[in-house]
Amino acid sequence: MADTSKTVLMMGNPNVGKSALFNRLTGGDAVVSNYPGTTVDYTKGVLIENGKEYEVIDAPGTYSLEARDAAEGVAVRLISENSDAVVLVVLDATRVERGLYLALEVIERGCPVIIALNMIDAARDRQIVVDTHVLQKILGVPVVPTSAVSGEGVRDLAEMIRKAQKADIEAVRARADGRFDEPEQSGGCAGCGLCGGC
Amino acid sequence: MKRLSELEYGESGVVREIRASQHELNCLGIRLKKQVKMITRQPIKGPVVVVVDDMEVAMGLDTAEGVVVEVEGHEGS
Repeated sequence: MADTSKTVLMMGNPNVGKSALFNRLTGGDAVVSNYPGTTVDYTKGVLIENGKEYEVIDAPGTYSLEARDAAEGVAVRLISENSDAVVLVVLDATRVERGLYLALEVIERGCPVIIALNMIDAARDRQIVVDTHVLQKILGVPVVPTSAVSGEGVRDLAEMIRKAQKADIEAVRARADGRFDEPEQSGGCAGCGLCGGC
Repeated sequence: MKRLSELEYGESGVVREIRASQHELNCLGIRLKKQVKMITRQPIKGPVVVVVDDMEVAMGLDTAEGVVVEVEGHEGS
């Protein structure tokens, strides 16, 4: 499979752990704090995974692709300027629904997407169970549970970046409504990343 | 029916209409049929904080005035 891009743009709501995850992925030293709005500009780092070099960009948190302040503006500009980048959407596993709004906007834009379900440890502590496989099936993009704090899942995430997928928003809508009978796409791959290597 | 800004402390309601920027509220998790609970209404036209899906969402008073909720009940009632 040809590599479409070597830039990975990290996007997500404020305070979901993007910078912590960025540091884990790149060994970077982006400032991390326990309140939202820490990253107001972007940071770049390098991830070498399986011999491939990725430029990883940690964008400021945003709730949507319609910027409401300067920091969100930076995030939106980054996605426009890096039109062929893989977008790593970071969700807070304890607040999945809110982050999905942005995730769907990014999917709708037609970007190849992979989702990190970050803070999975915190979700577990609060007895929140997220069915990663169903989420993956509905969205049609890989979903990887991670904890930037403990490092859980970060290895898997790095390996899965190459499986980022574009998904058709109408197909996502149909699957979210329980209609899974979409015709097989060319090559027969549903793009969920579950098969481990198609 | 009440405006979101008119909910009493601890009072809950279900969002029935959004007259403020739909997009802005939707991306924060406030949508039609969502249950919201009033946490704080700051004085002097200060922000309104509500809980939606166990998350606190703060918004300007003018935005809260644009959200119509059906009152459901009061905490402890």
